[in-house]
Amino acid sequence: MNSRVALFAQAIRGPVLLITVGILFAIHQAGVLPFYRTWPLLLIVVGVMKLIERLYVPQSPQGGPKL
Amino acid sequence: MKSRGSVTGPLVLILVGVVFLVHAITPDFRLADLLAHYWPYALIIWGAIALVEVVIRFLGNGPIPKNGVSGGGWALVIFIAIIGSSAFEFQRPDNWIRQIGFQSGMEAFGQEHEYPVQNIAKTVSAEPVIIIEDFRGDAKIIGAEGSNFSLTGQKVIRSFDAKDADKANSQTPVEVVTQGNTVTIRCHQDRIDSRSSVTTNLDISVPKGSRIEASGSHGTIDVSAIGGDVQFAGGNSSDIKLEDIGGSVKLETQGADSIRCDNVKGAVELHGRGSDVDLENIAGQVTIGGNFTGTVSLRALAKPVHLESMRTQLDARQVPGYFRLERGSVDAKNLIGPLKLTAHSTDITLDGFTEALDLDVDRGDVELRPEHSAMGRIAVHTHSGDIDLAVPSAAHFALSANTENGDIDNQFGDGLKESSEGRGAKLEGSVGSGPDVNLVTQHGSITVKKSSGDV
Repeated sequence: MNSRVALFAQAIRGPVLLITVGILFAIHQAGVLPFYRTWPLLLIVVGVMKLIERLYVPQSPQGGPKL
Repeated sequence: MKSRGSVTGPLVLILVGVVFLVHAITPDFRLADLLAHYWPYALIIWGAIALVEVVIRFLGNGPIPKNGVSGGGWALVIFIAIIGSSAFEFQRPDNWIRQIGFQSGMEAFGQEHEYPVQNIAKTVSAEPVIIIEDFRGDAKIIGAEGSNFSLTGQKVIRSFDAKDADKANSQTPVEVVTQGNTVTIRCHQDRIDSRSSVTTNLDISVPKGSRIEASGSHGTIDVSAIGGDVQFAGGNSSDIKLEDIGGSVKLETQGADSIRCDNVKGAVELHGRGSDVDLENIAGQVTIGGNFTGTVSLRALAKPVHLESMRTQLDARQVPGYFRLERGSVDAKNLIGPLKLTAHSTDITLDGFTEALDLDVDRGDVELRPEHSAMGRIAVHTHSGDIDLAVPSAAHFALSANTENGDIDNQFGDGLKESSEGRGAKLEGSVGSGPDVNLVTQHGSITVKKSSGDV
């Protein structure tokens, strides 16, 4: 079950990242905050997603999906 | 997954199809603008669809794809982001691509050959109409006392060999035809059949009372000391310089690098596209319409001015001081209202203005210093930007300032009541009985203070 959650977490990484990118560019074009000041948020999002994946990876070394 | 592919791809495809279909059916539907402005939302929608798909599969115990967005998908995202953001930059009228301009390729090749233009002198009336038919090159026109017309000049012919150049020279004589009161100058540059380019530079002296009608491109038009009207229709890369004109001025340009008018007694009308515009000492009405991407500078205008350029609109009754419109900023000093100013993405500084002011900016900081204590009605609206108002300490007014997201800094003192409302704030109150002063911003702070050193 846990590996399934990990798979899920991995699968939603792309969409979540895509939505974040979209929001950051929308904010950029609205003139509120330029993209060059908000892009580190993408790193944070990727990091958080990876952390979540890791939490659910089965403990055995071969069992889990490769990160 | 192989067994059952993702539904995101087909959905995105359908969405794209619908958008293009609407574009094809209704021509008014401006696809490029839409894409330029809303592509980030397309990414968000795409991400949302992919996310929903993964969640549904997870909950429904279906097979979970390894990636919500495939490698090819990411490539498409990067593609959209590059196209979208460059489209966004491009549809801003002041972008770099339009500033480079494309010169005709001929210019760079061949060799230059110079030929003199035969001197022509004639006696004409004191107030003739001088017409210069579509030509390419520089023209310098000076008004002089009397009724003499004279023309000198030189031709620069660019071609691969001297024989071609000679032929081009003989094909392009400069002609001056007098017909009644009209003097027509023809350069015949369209007659050449070889692959040469002819630039004709003219030095013309005309009677002071002349009226000028010219059209040309790729050169400098320099007109001075002319008592009549001046009309010029210009093609690409022309510089226009008018000085001491007794009549009115009408200019139509396709891509003037610079336009300068100094000391014009009549009205000035300017239409088309170009870069810098500089008007000074204009006694008549000024009308500017089109896209002028450089600096538009107005000084000492005695009559009403109407300006529409680069999504900025100005109406003023008089500009005794100056008004300077640059990319991203408007800076003005000493204007006589009623004033109406609309701008996009522009910081605005108005220092010293009288009578009513209507100001609308979608994005930009506003700094206002009304000149006299007898202020007019002021209405300022900005979507996102700070507003800074310095009122003369003796002024009477009824203030209503409102920000939906931001602070209000009341340095004016007593008489104004501050209250906060959600994430925004309000400042209201009357000082004596005076005109309404309305300041509204959606995102930004508002500062109201007393201007120092005012009379």
